[in-house]
Amino acid sequence: MSSEPLLRVENLKTQFFTDAGTVRAVDGISFEVHEGEIVGLVGESGAGKSVASMSLLRLVESPGEIVGGEITYRGETLFGLEEGPDGELRERDDMLSNEEMRTRIRGNEIAVIFQDPMETLNPVFTVGGQLREFIELNRDLSGKEARKEAIEMLREVGIPDPEERYEEYPHQFSGGMRQRVLIAMALACEPNLIIADEPTTALDVTVEGQIIDLVDELQEKYDTSFVWVTHDMGVVAEICDRVNVMYLGEIIEQAPVDELFHDTKHPYTEALLNSMPRPDRTVGELEPIEGVMPEAISPPSGCRFHPRCPDAREVCQRVHPENKEVARADGYPHNAACVKHDVFDVGYDESVPLDKEPQMTASTPSAGDDGE
Amino acid sequence: MGLLRYTTYRFIQAIPVLIGISILTFILANLTPGDPVRLMTQGQEVTPEQIERIEAQYGLDRPLHERYLDYMAGLVQGDMGHSFHRNRPVTDLIASRIGPTLLLVLSAYAFALVTSIPLGIIAAKRRNDPFDHVSRIVALFGVSTPSFWIGIMLILIFAVQLGWLPSAGLVYPWWSPETYGHSGYFEHLIETMRYLLLPMIALGTLQMATLMRVERTQMIESLQGEYVKLARAYGVPERTILRKHAFQVAQLPIITIVGLNLSTALGGAVLIEFVFNINGLGRLFYEAIIQLDYQLIMGITMIIATMFVIGVIITDIAYAYIDPRVTYGESE
Ligand code: SF4
Repeated sequence: MSSEPLLRVENLKTQFFTDAGTVRAVDGISFEVHEGEIVGLVGESGAGKSVASMSLLRLVESPGEIVGGEITYRGETLFGLEEGPDGELRERDDMLSNEEMRTRIRGNEIAVIFQDPMETLNPVFTVGGQLREFIELNRDLSGKEARKEAIEMLREVGIPDPEERYEEYPHQFSGGMRQRVLIAMALACEPNLIIADEPTTALDVTVEGQIIDLVDELQEKYDTSFVWVTHDMGVVAEICDRVNVMYLGEIIEQAPVDELFHDTKHPYTEALLNSMPRPDRTVGELEPIEGVMPEAISPPSGCRFHPRCPDAREVCQRVHPENKEVARADGYPHNAACVKHDVFDVGYDESVPLDKEPQMTASTPSAGDDGE
Repeated sequence: MGLLRYTTYRFIQAIPVLIGISILTFILANLTPGDPVRLMTQGQEVTPEQIERIEAQYGLDRPLHERYLDYMAGLVQGDMGHSFHRNRPVTDLIASRIGPTLLLVLSAYAFALVTSIPLGIIAAKRRNDPFDHVSRIVALFGVSTPSFWIGIMLILIFAVQLGWLPSAGLVYPWWSPETYGHSGYFEHLIETMRYLLLPMIALGTLQMATLMRVERTQMIESLQGEYVKLARAYGVPERTILRKHAFQVAQLPIITIVGLNLSTALGGAVLIEFVFNINGLGRLFYEAIIQLDYQLIMGITMIIATMFVIGVIITDIAYAYIDPRVTYGESE
């Protein structure tokens, strides 16, 4: 736990301006990544994890836009706004330009491992050629050196016969092997931070295990930090040091991994853990989370989780809980956004419990009643 | 399978196709109403015996299948028979007319490719900008306007009104400059271009418009590909993404369309030859049909079919060459 974190995200907001309205995909999240850490960003699909991770590189695609907050990486401002003389928000002077983001940050400082190894590699170029291109761009190596390095990296991520496979095209690789290529790309650029966006989701379980072991091993060797985006608590348990749980654009609980698993504070995290297959449980004992996540375009009032929360009470519909420190573990805060833990008592204990049947009100549009 | 074997394989595959076309045309040509001998002897006093003699001379009295087999036997030796009407070998007639048509079609394609691809890319990049809207209107105009009308308009404007360019005929670059009284190859080339320009644009506009629309759609799709996201995340400059990463994938459907549109282009060439008074295959074909010149109809049909088949094969090979995912023909 060094003094200055490698990456600090504060109150980040990313929104999509669609015809149907503004989607607050990422709605004020804050987290840190320290040197050498693997930090998890967990949640169901649609929680805003991927948008959050792309925001870090300022690669949110239109109609999406980062509208607020601050991203600091090693003392440099990747994103930051200030109030101008006219009262309008404007980009701060010390914020990196697009060109600086491209040449100095993307790839060589922060690299990404994408989710879908089938679609991510370009089908018409050789695997080696693509790897070499990124190395040349990000490491000031000549073509020949970059080629050598590319072959070396393919070997490093466990691709047999790297010299021959260098010349092959993506379709000649299996899913697991392609994912290894994507990992090789990230590592070959020698970044300090790697964003892994659900890198094992498209793979079967055996391959997933191999890839996770590989990342674990390489992480130790290169001491790279990771932001690990996933919906799978099992993967989190296996690989992460600290975890941020996201729900509908917000981080609702953050804690070191052991603390999160053993002293879960937020009902949503609990529900996620209960829905996860574990060796000490049979499939029959799994408890899927009730309902589906509502759309981020019109989130429920108060606590966004209240339509699905087993502990929800009347107050949860009114009060939006802040993500606050509720405990400390290993020198890190354990934060949770739930009125149950609110230090300023908002009256959870006296509040009446909500009906088990989730209520359909104007403010809870798609409150899932499709769960039994 | 290697590229060479694939090529051979595709050409062998084309043989039954061409045989099928030949049978069909042969039957159709002979079913056409009208009697060629009567047409030939129009206005002359002929006895039935004379007609019979002419029919025997050209083998018209024999059964259809025998005549077909005879024809095919000649064809494989490069003999396409004899034109009744012009009293010349069909091969000679076609040879003297194919040059202008090929020149016209190929230049129209070159024009279409050179213009449509950059325009399509810019339109994709500036999606929903004024440039994009204008180019889409132009494309819509291009695909919905008949080429002969464009040809006539071009003549009216550039030849009649402005007097900048000639309105009829072609200069054949394969003839020597002296034939036209040109002082050298440079002038010869310039003149070739001057004559070619209007018919080329008239014929090429449809292809240009079609290809531009496809290029735009393909580039838009390709620019949304995951591989583009990857390239961006690794700091690849936007222009490299456009020119390399997104571009190469987007070209695959273009190649297919170029091949398939060859038939439209060849059909369009017939009309353009009329509008610009070019002595090409298209006009010869028209005359052959009017005169019920069976042998000539057969010959030209076979040549056009062969050109089309070759065009499709070439595009298939180009596709296989560019797209590494195509395993040469194994998936047939
Ligand atoms: S605030 Fe209320 S609804 Fe939200 S998680 Fe806590 S108990 Fe559940």
